[in-house]
Amino acid sequence: MRRNQSILDLEIIAVKIRRNVLEICRQRGGYAAQGVALADVTAALYFDEMRPDSEGWFHDRFVLSNGHDAIMTYGALAETGHYTIEQLRTYNEDGSQVDQSPIEGQLGFEITAGSLGQGPSQAAGLAWALRQQGSDKRVYCLFSDGELQEGNVWEAAMFAAHQKLDNLCFIVDNNDMQASGRAVDVLGVEPVPEKFEAFGCKTRRITGTDMAELLDTFDEARATKGQPYVMICDTRLWDGIDCLQQALPMAHYTAKAAVDWDEGLAEITATLSALEARRDG
Amino acid sequence: MLLTGPRSFDPAPFDDISYDLCTRRDDVVIMSADLSKYCQVVRVKNELPRQHLDVGMAEQNLLSVAAGVAKGGLIPVATCFACYITRRAYDQMMICMGTGSGPGTNQKTGPTNIAIGFTPGISNPARIHHQAAEDLGMVRAIPNARVIDPVDSTDFRAALDAAVDLPGLTYIRGHRGDTPRILDPEKFTFELGKTYKLKQGKGIGIIATGHGTQWALEASDILTDRGVEHSVLHVPTIKPVNESEIAEFAFAHNQIVTIENHQIVTGLGSLASEIVSDIGGGPRITRLGLPNRWAPGGTMDFIRGQLGLDAETLATRIAGVAK
Repeated sequence: MRRNQSILDLEIIAVKIRRNVLEICRQRGGYAAQGVALADVTAALYFDEMRPDSEGWFHDRFVLSNGHDAIMTYGALAETGHYTIEQLRTYNEDGSQVDQSPIEGQLGFEITAGSLGQGPSQAAGLAWALRQQGSDKRVYCLFSDGELQEGNVWEAAMFAAHQKLDNLCFIVDNNDMQASGRAVDVLGVEPVPEKFEAFGCKTRRITGTDMAELLDTFDEARATKGQPYVMICDTRLWDGIDCLQQALPMAHYTAKAAVDWDEGLAEITATLSALEARRDG
Repeated sequence: MLLTGPRSFDPAPFDDISYDLCTRRDDVVIMSADLSKYCQVVRVKNELPRQHLDVGMAEQNLLSVAAGVAKGGLIPVATCFACYITRRAYDQMMICMGTGSGPGTNQKTGPTNIAIGFTPGISNPARIHHQAAEDLGMVRAIPNARVIDPVDSTDFRAALDAAVDLPGLTYIRGHRGDTPRILDPEKFTFELGKTYKLKQGKGIGIIATGHGTQWALEASDILTDRGVEHSVLHVPTIKPVNESEIAEFAFAHNQIVTIENHQIVTGLGSLASEIVSDIGGGPRITRLGLPNRWAPGGTMDFIRGQLGLDAETLATRIAGVAK
């Protein structure tokens, strides 16, 4: 825990992020299932782990490697107020400034993230440059298990470990789902922790949906010296919304007509009310 | 005249260029992919190790780590052979280094990203895999990128000095080993996009870049001896070039010949043809360079001879266009 947010407060933020994801994706479809599944990671990262700076942004740096998961950042930055939900509802609309897979320099996005497997090296280069200049900033990079099939990711792991980049934390969205189906069927990537360990990284495998465990893992990452840290999050698409689990087989990209968004939002509203009652009562 | 006097050679231009740059600018990082020695990065590596970063034999990593270094506020100068830094890591060059600055991106002025490709064209003795006959065309196709093919160490030094102050992606072809001193550093001032008349004349206009300009000057001596009227224009900047200077030169001559150490498609010859054809009614353009077949390996002199690019044959080919 870094910013002394209570676990319950962060869980409430995670539910609000899920709500934002649904509100955004119900307009024209999108990578909703990923955003929902990553909401706890996102809440922990943006609302506890990354420190704010004096200019209304973050002191630490976040590099999103897979453009698909941009939806999780949008969900979070709607809560921080950096984007309005009205702006974000233009996601996936012709002419929108809210790119489904963002380009370097858009608010919240350090790199052009659609060509997969290129985030980890850029995050490692960024971490190296920051360390070189004596900065205490930390670098977080999210990428997916599908990206582990790209060689560039392993070049990054080898480099980061060789350079002992302990200001670098990789977050693997190990959701076992890629464009053509389950990763285990397309091209198996397991055992993920052992692979990164063999490259010289410290690793921990978690569910990615348990807030206390997430905070503890970020604590461990920060306490790790002399090697980069890899947290492997065994997320599952639509994790956090029970009523949308039946949409799982079609979840890589959720078309507008593929799910009942109202049903999902109703469940979120109920969850949110229950959590807020617990907090207030 | 911009040319130096008697011909002399610089044995390791980039060792001095990189060292001088790094001593002047502590925010510059010379990056390598296990080829420091072969790109003649020696003094920076040994004497300024904080400004040297080797990512191992991994060219995609070279350019993606470089792009991260740039986002961290330093200036990466990624060095490798031209074939690998372009062909083998083209997507990283385009996406990681080339999408953060200029029209169509989210930032008017983004981070500075520099890549230098050594032993371009037939200046590498190992045929096919080590030779890059298409790098200029590849990088030229990236929006907002800058592409520079210097003729000698003076040009090379000036191009890199210019690049470190510019946002976005700059690709420079590097020189290594005995590099002829051609331009007089006292008289030559590099400006991005500018072209340079190295010989003023009439008749045949020769437009050349990089090693091609060296070859053009050798052929020029022979043409002069034979009484063939001609001019030589050196075009170090392939992109963005001052198009009006190319057009003005082209339309002032009866015939144009382009010479480049690159395939005759997509590089300088294509560039000149595009500029002249956009205007229309211009002179015929004959493109000389690497043909549409795999070049042989060996010394550059040998390969030039095999491809009809040695001074004598070049002079004959150039003179032949007037007939």
